[in-house]
This record gives sequence, structure tokens and C-alpha cells, in this order.
Amino acid sequence: MTLIAENVSMAFGGLVALDDVTLTVPDRAIIGLIGPNGAGKTTLFNCLTGLYAPTSGRVLLDGRPLEADPAEAARHGVARTFQNIRLFSGMSALENVLVGRHTRIKQGLMSALFHGPAFRRSEAEAVERARAELAFVGLDPAGDTPARSLSYGDQRRLEIARALAGDPAVLMLDEPTAGMNGSETTAIRTLIGAIRDRGITVVVIEHDTKFIFSLCDHVHVLVRGRMLVSGPPEAVRTDPRVIEAYLGTTECSK
Amino acid sequence: MTLDRPPVRHRKPAAPELPGPAAVLLRLRAPAAAVLVLAGALLPWASVVLPGGAYPDLATLQFFDAPHLVTGFRLHLVLLGLAAALLPRARKPAAIGVIAIALVHMAFLTGLGALSIGGPVTLAAGALLLWAARAEPPRPRMELKTPPPAVAWLVLLVAFAALLWLVSATLTAGGQSRATNPYGGAEFLAFLGFGLAVAGVLSAYGVLAWISAMSERHRIFSIAVLLGCALMLPFTQAGTGYWMTVASSIGVYAATAIGLNIVVGLAGLLDLGYVAFLGIGAFTAANLAHAVPFPVAALAGAVTAGVFGVVVGSPTLRVRGDYLAIVTLAFGEIFFRAAQNDIGGLTGGANSIPGIPPINVLGLAFNEPVGGLPGGSRYYMISVLMVAGAMAVLANLRRSRTGRAWLAIREDEDVARAMGVRTGRAKIVAFLVGATLAGLAGAVFAHKLGTVGYESFDFSESVTLLAAVVLGGMGTVPGAVVGASLLFVLPEKLREFSDYRLMLFGLALILIMRFRPQGLVSSS
Amino acid sequence: MATLAQQIVNGLVLGALIGLIALGYTMVYGIIKLINFAHGEVFMVGAFGAHFTSAYLLPDAMPWYAALPVLCVAAVAVSVTVAVLMERLAYRPLRDAHSLAPLITALGVSILLQEVVRVFYPGATAPLPFPRVFVDSQLTAGSLIVQWTGVLAVAVSPLLAAALHWYVERSRLGRAMRAVAEDPDTARLMGIDLNRVILATFVLGAVLAGLGAVLYGIHYGQIDTTMGFQNGIFAFTAAVLGGIGSIRGAMLGAFCIGMVKSLAGQYAWGGAQYDYVWVFVLLILVLMFRPQGFLGRLERVRA
Repeated sequence: MTLIAENVSMAFGGLVALDDVTLTVPDRAIIGLIGPNGAGKTTLFNCLTGLYAPTSGRVLLDGRPLEADPAEAARHGVARTFQNIRLFSGMSALENVLVGRHTRIKQGLMSALFHGPAFRRSEAEAVERARAELAFVGLDPAGDTPARSLSYGDQRRLEIARALAGDPAVLMLDEPTAGMNGSETTAIRTLIGAIRDRGITVVVIEHDTKFIFSLCDHVHVLVRGRMLVSGPPEAVRTDPRVIEAYLGTTECSK
Repeated sequence: MTLDRPPVRHRKPAAPELPGPAAVLLRLRAPAAAVLVLAGALLPWASVVLPGGAYPDLATLQFFDAPHLVTGFRLHLVLLGLAAALLPRARKPAAIGVIAIALVHMAFLTGLGALSIGGPVTLAAGALLLWAARAEPPRPRMELKTPPPAVAWLVLLVAFAALLWLVSATLTAGGQSRATNPYGGAEFLAFLGFGLAVAGVLSAYGVLAWISAMSERHRIFSIAVLLGCALMLPFTQAGTGYWMTVASSIGVYAATAIGLNIVVGLAGLLDLGYVAFLGIGAFTAANLAHAVPFPVAALAGAVTAGVFGVVVGSPTLRVRGDYLAIVTLAFGEIFFRAAQNDIGGLTGGANSIPGIPPINVLGLAFNEPVGGLPGGSRYYMISVLMVAGAMAVLANLRRSRTGRAWLAIREDEDVARAMGVRTGRAKIVAFLVGATLAGLAGAVFAHKLGTVGYESFDFSESVTLLAAVVLGGMGTVPGAVVGASLLFVLPEKLREFSDYRLMLFGLALILIMRFRPQGLVSSS
Repeated sequence: MATLAQQIVNGLVLGALIGLIALGYTMVYGIIKLINFAHGEVFMVGAFGAHFTSAYLLPDAMPWYAALPVLCVAAVAVSVTVAVLMERLAYRPLRDAHSLAPLITALGVSILLQEVVRVFYPGATAPLPFPRVFVDSQLTAGSLIVQWTGVLAVAVSPLLAAALHWYVERSRLGRAMRAVAEDPDTARLMGIDLNRVILATFVLGAVLAGLGAVLYGIHYGQIDTTMGFQNGIFAFTAAVLGGIGSIRGAMLGAFCIGMVKSLAGQYAWGGAQYDYVWVFVLLILVLMFRPQGFLGRLERVRA
């Protein structure tokens, strides 16, 4: 499955957050998205996951335009995590993952009312899968801890497990290692590799350029709403424009 | 499943060790308080002999004039005092119970101008006990092992039988009304305080969690026993026509509150016009009562209310958060105005719809006594079944894809959407299910009362239902039933305070949100 | 034709009075995103405060120009006291709680205040006559009757709104209010005392509600304990209609609501018995199709 942003622009009132951005997310790859603060990375994520309708341009999923509705994007296999962790904090870890599985569970209202055999089968399958995802990201498969009681790192993992439970084709991670130490970051890197090995395309936003360049197949650099450079990590790393954007005179716009 | 808890209040660091006598005195606080509770229980409470009722036996200025006649609230105080003396964990709940009992009786006796020293002494003892309990370091949670099935079944049986006794005793505590016992209200409230204290003690020792773990493990057995116990109520001391009528009214409101709990507690949609659905069900059934048999009328009431639920819920597709509360309030007021003005000749306006026949199934009219049971018992039975059904709906949906979607919406609507939840549809289903339950309850309501008028469905009823849900615990299965029982028994018991009813509900809403937003029924 | 003119006049007066309550709703919602149900009650207690002063404290015969300011001060004092207590005791502890908690609390406060007044204020179980301190004469033009109290309301209310607007735009506190409305966390980081700003917002709203209560009392001649709740709902509708958070919008919305109620009661289906049903229908439609109101702006989803 390929996800394409085609000439996407996004303006909030007078503020242009994205200016004619084109991005292709190919099948089975790890894509990195870097750029200074306020460059529009999260805005681009929001456009790609249907949260925002672009002011102009369009988002295509397998050639079909994507509705500006996150629920539809999720149904079509685009899953995501959030920069500032947003779990369903009052629900257990397992329930969080089960919500992530929502679109793939088949249960009618009537069967849910009576908990008949078909319901129990579907529920058991869903729970089994949710436990498997908890184990996959390295959490306790019982999952009966309330999400709000998990440690910070575990909450990030739980967000990933929740996103994976919906059988996504594309997983978008918004700063998955923010606030983590070295060993935790390494563990996340391994996890992202394992996700790619499951055949899922991963798009990662990160500030840690070392992390991105060592992990990704393609890297895109977004600066002040424009796509500055795209290409394989080696090429991007040595590109003078990127060096200028990060180290040079360009001020970090907010 | 509760609201976010208020920020933890930090305990003051333990006071530095005091030398000698001061430390001893501090350590003696709790035993002294327990002894003082016992003394307070046996001291005279009233300064004059009051004719009849709870106080007279010991109501003189003499000390210990009848020490063996320790009954009623004195017995409860003695039990709480003993608990405080012997069981360290029991001190805090016992203190709260003692304070509640003392305050209630003091208020009544002061009103009669007959307050004596028993009340103030007991109140001081309770305060001392609370102070002592608060100073103690927090203890780890008690956990009891789950026993083998045979034992578990026996324990569950005993526990539910005790619950049945408690419900029956609470209902009948203080008698029917002022006419038979002028201190009925005080006795009832004091008994309630005692009941809560007992529940608190059991909870402190992990007994409630233990029983709830067992009942979770032996779910089918517990449900069967619980249902059986509920159906046994007519055979207890509460088995009079009067109490059966009260209990079946509670059933109607409890079923409605469960419906509201789905909308507010699970999906987090604040509905301030919810009683309209009860009204729609009632008016539908009332209009059909002479034309079709009860099951058809009940179905029609439920379906009509469900349809209106979808109509009222549809703005939720576009209206976010707080605005929804206002939209539902507006719908509720529109319904009330329409019913008041006899819209389409369907509601009878100011004349109400009179003469609705009692439920009649297979030639059995439900209002007549059967066997040794009083009239109204069968309404009670049907309302028990209805409440059980509503609880099953809530519990089953809570543990399904739909229920999880509701909880997710309540927690964070944007993220729920990002997880693929079609939030609009989920919310409308919540309104549909909730309104259908209320409509069904409305049909029973109409037949039971025999007359339906618009004034049963005003805003204060919606507030009462909401208060019931909040008091019991939003999103919990038994919460709405506990809340509805309390809020609809209290006015029955405290008729002399009927003027203060709404005021107290308002105050209760504020206090619960401030101090216990998770409600009464909640493990956390 | 005369009826139409009369209804328009009635609508204008009602709108002016509702507007003064709507300003409180719009400011509080703008700043802490709380529908303060109890704001209508702040208006109601103001009216009872003025009534109490006139019935129990003031001498019987007082010229209107002496009595009216006293009543205004009394109403404002009572309203402000209640609003401050409400904010400090009920809302502030819930500042960080789940969104339903403050809303349910607001409902509780509203019921509590209504019932406390109804039960404890002498004679408040029925509508009470409000002192007719202001000139009891009226303007007549043909069959059209305009009471001087109405003229006063229509004149004073927009002036107060303009003063409020000026204050919020120009003063230091007003700037702090706008900053908090925009982003409370950042405002706090910038050194703004959140508690003070929020309390000030409640106080400003209460001042206007208190003044509105006196104008209401002298115009309609009677007050009762439900006046706050009903007019509060109208006022909230007005605030939403005009665009919540906008001062000009609240006044504009209020005049619209006044007109709708007045004209619908005369001309719409169902007549006066359904007049406020039409206000609610309008409210529902606005919330569904233009939730940002006339002058408001749409909120962005944050992710």
C-alpha cells in the first residue's frame, strides 16, 4: 500500500504550516521525517492521517483520495501514535489495545447485548491478538494495569501496541523516543525494525538525526513548511542545505 | 473506571516523637475514643421522656437506667465502638459512622428541644476517633485468597443473604412515615450511616474486594443468587403493600438511571433532559394501554423512546463536548413544554392521562395480592427483572467492542477517531440504548401508577437521575442502582424534609465531584 | 402593526437584559471553557439582594435617584460575593479534573442556590413584587407603550458591554484574560496569576449580572427563584449564537434571542405557551450548524 501526499498545503488563518509538500510513502520501508521545531512535521502527519483536510493538494491512499476523517484513515490501514502521549488513561492497557483493534473486530450490537457464541469467539480472538501485541512491544501481556499507572516508556510502547492492533499497512510514529534514555532508544529502534519485518511501513518523526539516519530507508527534511530535501540517509546527511538548516544561520521558527 | 481523581493531598510528615507523657497520650487517643463511643451510646440522649419511637426507653437523665436495653442506634454505636477498639483498620469508617449517627440524632433532638449529653459526647468521641485514625500511617491493602468453589459458593450465598437483610432493614428502618413514627427520618438516616460504616469496615479488611473477586469468578452463580435474593424481598419484613410500591418505583428509576449511566458514565455524554425518554415511554404506553396488551405497549414505549433517543443524539454528530449538555437540556424542556400543553392530544396536558389499567398478563391483574403476598409484589417482581435486564445490558455492552468505543470516546474523542472508531455512530447507539431502557421503564411506570402527567418529567427529575448516576459511580454496573435506591428512598423516608430535597441533591453533586468523583461504588 | 411594534420593543428590552447575563457566560466560557450553569443564579441572587435591601433596609419613601444606586450596589455586592464563593469553593478545586466534573458541579451549584433562596428567603416560594423605584410612567405613541425602565435597560446594557469590551481590550487585567483564554499554560509560564485572572472574570460577570438583575426587577416588577435558570439558558443561547468568547457577539445574540422569543410568542405556532421552545429550537440549530456563532471562530483539533 502506498500513501502519497500530493502538493499538500495547509494554512491556519494566515499561518502557512505546509507549503506544497509532496511525499511518497512506499510499501515496506522505514521513512524518516526530520526538521526543526515548527517545521510542520506533525501537521503533515495530521494531514496524512485524515485529522486535517489540506487547504490545497490531496492525500492519496493506493491511488484513492483519503477522506479527511481519521476513522476512515484507520479503517484503511493508516495508524499512528501521538507526540504527547494520548492513551485512554482510565482504561487498562489491554483495553487500550482492544480499542486499537476496533476496526477489525466484527461484533453486532445484538450479539454484544447477549454475549452469544459468535460474540465470545470474536472477543476471545481479539483479546488473544491484543495480548500478542502487548508481548510484541515488550509489555506484560495480562495488560490489566490502568494505562495511567504505566511508566513513561511503557506508555510510549503501549501507544505503539495500540496502533499495531488495527493491522495497519502504514504506522506513523510521532517522536517515539522523545524523553527516552540511550538504552530505551535502542530498544525502540529494534522494535521499529521488527515492525518493518512484519511488512508494515513505518514513518517516523524524530529530532534525533543519528537515530533517523541509522534506521531509515528514506529521509525527508521539512523546513518551515517546505520539503527541503528527500533521499537516502547518506545523501541527506551530507546535503549542505540540511547542514545549514540544522547548524547554520536559519533561525528556528515557531 | 472512574473520573480522574483529584490531586493527591499530601499527608503532613509524621509529627516528631514527643517525649514521655505526650506520646503516651497520643497513642491512647484511639482506645480512649472507642471507650468514649461506648459511653456515649449508653448515656441519655434526650432530656425528657419522649412518647413512643426510638428514644423513650433510655431517654431520661438517669445514667444506665436500663443498660440491657441496647437496641436501635445505641446497638449500632456499641458495635462501632467495639469495632474501633478491636480492629485497627476499622477506625476511620467507624468514626465516620459514629459521627453520622450522632449528628443525625442530635439534629432531631435539638429540633425537639430535648437534646441531652449522649449526642455531644458521642460526637466528640467520633471526632477523636477520626483524628486518631487519620494520624495513623497508611496500611497496605488487605488481600484475601480466593477459596475453593464450594466455600466460595457458600460465602456468596451468605453475603447476598446478608445484603437482602440489609436492604430490607434499610427500607423498613424508621417505619413508613411521620404518621407512624415521628423519629422515622432520624432512625433511617442513622441506620444508613451505620450501613455505610459497616461497608467501610468490610472494605478496609478487603472483604468486599474478596467477595467481588469471588462473584466475578463464579459469575453465573452470583447473578442467579443475587436475582433470587432480590425476588425474595416480598417475603421479608419489607413485604407490605407500601414497601412493594416504593421498591417497584425505585426499580423503575433504577432502570432509567442505568440507561443514563450508559450515556453519561460510559460514553461521557452529559444528558440533562434524560427524563424525557421515561416520559415518552410512559405516554406511549398510556395511549396504547386500552388498545393492546402490556408487552406490546411496553415494546412500543421502548421503541418510541429509542427513536427519540436517536433524534436527540443526532446533534452529537456535530456538537462537541459541553454544548451537548445544553442541547439535551433544550430537548428536555421542549418535551416538557409540549407535554404540558397536551401536544397532539397525546399527553392530557394539565389533566394527565388517567385510568391506565394495571398490567394484566394471562388474566392476572398485577395490582391484586397473590397468595400471602401483598398487592404490588408482582410490580416489584417485574421491576426487579427489568433492572436485572438493564444491568445485564450495561455489563455486557461494557465488555464489548461498542462499550470500549464509548469509553474511548469518553477518555479522548480525537484519539478514538484516530483508532478507527466512528464516534458519531457510537454516540447515537449510546443514546439509542439508553433511551430504549428509559422508555421500557416508562411503560411500567405508566401502568403501575395508573395515571401519567407531564409534571413527573420536569428538569428536577433529570437532575435526580443524574445525581443517582454520579452518586453511585459513573460507568459502574451496580452504581446506578445504588444511587437510584438512595435518592428515591430518601424522600420517601424524609417527607418532613421534602422541601430540602433538591437543595441536598445540588449539594451532593458538588461534594461528590469534589471529594469522591468516582462515586460510592468503586474499588479505588 | 401596532402589535408588531410592541413585540419588537418587548424583544429589545428582553434582549438588553439577557445580554448582561450573556456577557458573564461568554467571558467565563472563553477563559476556562466551563458552561457556568450557575451564572444565571448569580443574576437571581442579585435580584434578591436588591429586594432584601429595599424591603428590609431602606426607608419606604425614597426618591428613585437615591434608591436605584443603593439597589444596584446591593445587587452587585450579593452577586459578586456568591460568584467569588462559587469559584473558590466549587470550581477552583476541580481546575484539572475531568471535563464532566466541573459541569456537573456547576449544575449542582445552580440547583443549590436556587433552592437555598426558595426555601430560606421569606416569601420566595412564590414570585415577589420588586419595588417600583424607577419612574412608573411610560412613553406612549399611539397604542405603542414603552416603559421608561425599558428605555433605561436598552440604553444601559450596550453601554456596559462597550465598557467591558474597552476594559478587556485595554487594561492590564483584560490583556491577561485574553492571554489565559488563548492558552492557559503559556499564560501561566509568562507569569500571569491564573487564579487571579479567573476570579476577576467571575467578578466582572457578576457585576454585570447584578446590574442586570436590578434592571430586570424594576422593569418586570417581580422576581422569582427560577428567573436565573430560565434567563440563564437564554443568555447562554445568546452567547453561543453570537460566538462564545466574543463580547459584541453576546450582545448581538441577546438581542436576537429577545426578538425571537417576543415575536415567536406572538406569531409562531403554539403562541406564548411555546415561545421559549422556539428559543431552544434556535439554540439547537445554531449549535448544530454554526457552533462558532456569528462572531466566533472555530476551534482547531489538537494532536
